[in-house]
Amino acid sequence: MSSDVGGPRPRLLSRFSLSELSSSSQFLGVAVVLVAMFVAFSVTEPRFFTAANIRVMLTSVAILWMISLGLTVVMLTGGFDLSLGSMLGLAGFIFVGFYVRLGLPALLAVLLTVAAGALIGGATNGFLIGRVRMPFLVVTIGTLSLFQGITYLVSGGQTTSLTSSLLDSIGFGTALGVPYSVWIMLGTLAVSLFVLRRTYFGRDVYATGGNPKAAQLAGVSVTRTLIAAYAFAGATAALGGVLQNAFISAASPVGAGTIIFDATAAVLLGGTVLGGGVGGVGGTAIGVLFLGVLQNGLSLGGVQAAWQQVISGAIVISAVLFQQLQGTGMSLFPRRERPDDASAGSLGSVNPPEKKEEQV
Amino acid sequence: MSDSFLRISGLHKRFVGVHALRGAELTVERGELHALVGANGSGKSTLINILSGQIAPDGGTITLAGDRLRLGRSEHALAAGIATVTQETTLVPQLSVAENILLGPRKVRGPLGIDWQATRGRAAEILELLGARFPVDVRIANLRPDQQQLVEIARAISMNARLLLLDEPTSSLTEDEVDALFSLVRSLQERGLTTIFVSHRMSELFAIADRITVLRDGRTVESGPVSSYDPKRIIELMVGHAPEPTVAPARVEPGDRPLLRVDDLSSGHVVGAAFTVAAGECVGLAGLTGAGRTELLDTIFGLRRATHGRIQLDGRELRARRVTDAIARGVAYVPGDRKNLGLILSMTLAENVVMPATSARRRLLVPSRKRERARVSAVVGDFGIRAASPDVPVATLSGGNQQKAVLAKWMHTGPRLLLMDEPTRGVDVAAKAEIHRLLAEARSRGVGILVSSSENEELQLLCDRILVMFRGRIVAELDRAAATDANLAHFAMGAH
Repeated sequence: MSSDVGGPRPRLLSRFSLSELSSSSQFLGVAVVLVAMFVAFSVTEPRFFTAANIRVMLTSVAILWMISLGLTVVMLTGGFDLSLGSMLGLAGFIFVGFYVRLGLPALLAVLLTVAAGALIGGATNGFLIGRVRMPFLVVTIGTLSLFQGITYLVSGGQTTSLTSSLLDSIGFGTALGVPYSVWIMLGTLAVSLFVLRRTYFGRDVYATGGNPKAAQLAGVSVTRTLIAAYAFAGATAALGGVLQNAFISAASPVGAGTIIFDATAAVLLGGTVLGGGVGGVGGTAIGVLFLGVLQNGLSLGGVQAAWQQVISGAIVISAVLFQQLQGTGMSLFPRRERPDDASAGSLGSVNPPEKKEEQV
Repeated sequence: MSDSFLRISGLHKRFVGVHALRGAELTVERGELHALVGANGSGKSTLINILSGQIAPDGGTITLAGDRLRLGRSEHALAAGIATVTQETTLVPQLSVAENILLGPRKVRGPLGIDWQATRGRAAEILELLGARFPVDVRIANLRPDQQQLVEIARAISMNARLLLLDEPTSSLTEDEVDALFSLVRSLQERGLTTIFVSHRMSELFAIADRITVLRDGRTVESGPVSSYDPKRIIELMVGHAPEPTVAPARVEPGDRPLLRVDDLSSGHVVGAAFTVAAGECVGLAGLTGAGRTELLDTIFGLRRATHGRIQLDGRELRARRVTDAIARGVAYVPGDRKNLGLILSMTLAENVVMPATSARRRLLVPSRKRERARVSAVVGDFGIRAASPDVPVATLSGGNQQKAVLAKWMHTGPRLLLMDEPTRGVDVAAKAEIHRLLAEARSRGVGILVSSSENEELQLLCDRILVMFRGRIVAELDRAAATDANLAHFAMGAH
């Protein structure tokens, strides 16, 4: 639901249980295309619909998934976080610090790494954006470079190889036939869904993105909400860093600088809008799977990497364009049209004189 | 056919779910100042929007000076000499006055682009014609609201308008600014300009209009010379029945200890404010735009930091810059700019309504939806908000119902001190009476009210005492008997 449209929503959709996943049902269109794509690849490419390939496909998007979930929360507040890719790289070496240098148990090191991600994200991006009220692009462009630089300094530019049974199971183990990394993905999604859709904090996030001034006036602490949102994004990026370490059994200073662009595409595909207030993590999950299936299917079909990029770029743009058209129910060049009821304020009449057609 | 300057007949427009115009008629003679009145939702704005080409009607014809107007394109309306000035400014704040006036028809000279000298010259010419006293190089953002309005009118004039549409041009102006606007409109009228004027303020209609047309539910109810009407009759025509008498609130004697005590408060523009509000008392804030009324309210509520002074509620200090503290202690603030500050349009009615009341809860708690729904349903019923369910996005409600939702979300917190900024800006007469009734009711329950308004009439009706602000200072405190129009104007202009 974009904020400036006054038309009633189709009733069936708003009752549909999927609407729990996101405040906008716009991603349903993308979900349909995702299913169609899935079926098409299954038919045309015999190696696509196999347990092994599905597993590969899911684990290939695990890191993107983490970053995208964190980015969704930040984008819902109306902001953006360019630094998540370098936060991921930094977190890889924070883990090294806890696990190798300090010799802490692997599980504790993982938890501390995630906590450190939250702390760093909240104290740098969150503080400067939420408290000092600096523009989010300026701040996160700065921290993007800052985190990357620190990662190189700490690592000396060297990859540190890691041996840990915990990391190995996260990277390569399965439970009930499902990789641990996929369980972690599902767990993170469940937590984000719960926090966003069920708690007061979740409402604060939507309120801050929807209209920060009105939110502030209604008693929402916009500062705290923003700090918490960037801290959450930092935590998901740190968890992504741990997954990265697990997948390559090492910490690499190269990080994942450009992953933020894929994550942005996934979030937008999922119906969360730039500017905030509308969208949700459920849609983002579908957006990530969309990109994963597309890339996986095209690779299996032997499509050249350059062509894959061209195709996914075009598809992302058309999908988001399609959503825009569908979401607003308007033409490409919308004309301003609205009943004067919606523009002027009124309490209505004390005794509404024979008005039968009021919107309800 | 008669030779009226403007003739609108059989105008129909249907929006999704709303039949806004059902055969509205309007006839305007050349050179007259015609007032168009009606409650919100009566179709006035739709009619104005059709006339200015913003909206295409479903049926009906418009003739201007004998020619049939091509509808549905604003270019056609402009070409026909129809210019519009609306309540919301359409100026570009970062550009200069001259650039704004000639935004469309810039003076271009050859390949070198815009001829700035000619642009500035033409703009200065128009401003002088209008009696403006500011240079053409000033940026719009640095002008007062009334000056901005003047620029809007200048832009209309620059397009050689024959018909000027003023859609609630006075809703953001103070009374003296309104006077200035009116004398301008009158002088334009003498030059032969025809004006259609939309306003909710009854006094303005009688001050300025020649003839009046009343719309109700998309139909024209009556039309005639203003002199043959009185305010009561017009309200009757607007709402379709006789207006209910407005309750004049009883004078409340303040108790020993004030509910709100403000001492030597300074914040931004506001300097040394000191006053009290007792339980059950209504205190008014009068003054020109920019006198610091809104800043004062913002500071009491904790939206702005006080640089000096104290704010006490029940003898206990309110924590600075803590909106949640103010809310928890029973302060409610209904902002003046309700459209932008009142609601979060992307969220549901229920979420909006419960927001202030739950602002002090721990943020990771999980609210009980069942209990919230029940509570919101009750509030929705009390305030007569029409919505299919508490879970619809608040953006889908009509404007009037959104207004009610803003009031509901604050009254629902059970406030003891109610801060209100321009409580009836942009609302129609009937709704105004309803808001006044709500305020009187709140007072009788012992709620203290601090209300800022640029309408003297409203303050005189509601308040026991009126504080007049001038350039950030409270320069006078008048009780109801002393708060005459003359007195209020005297102090608001900074006279002693």
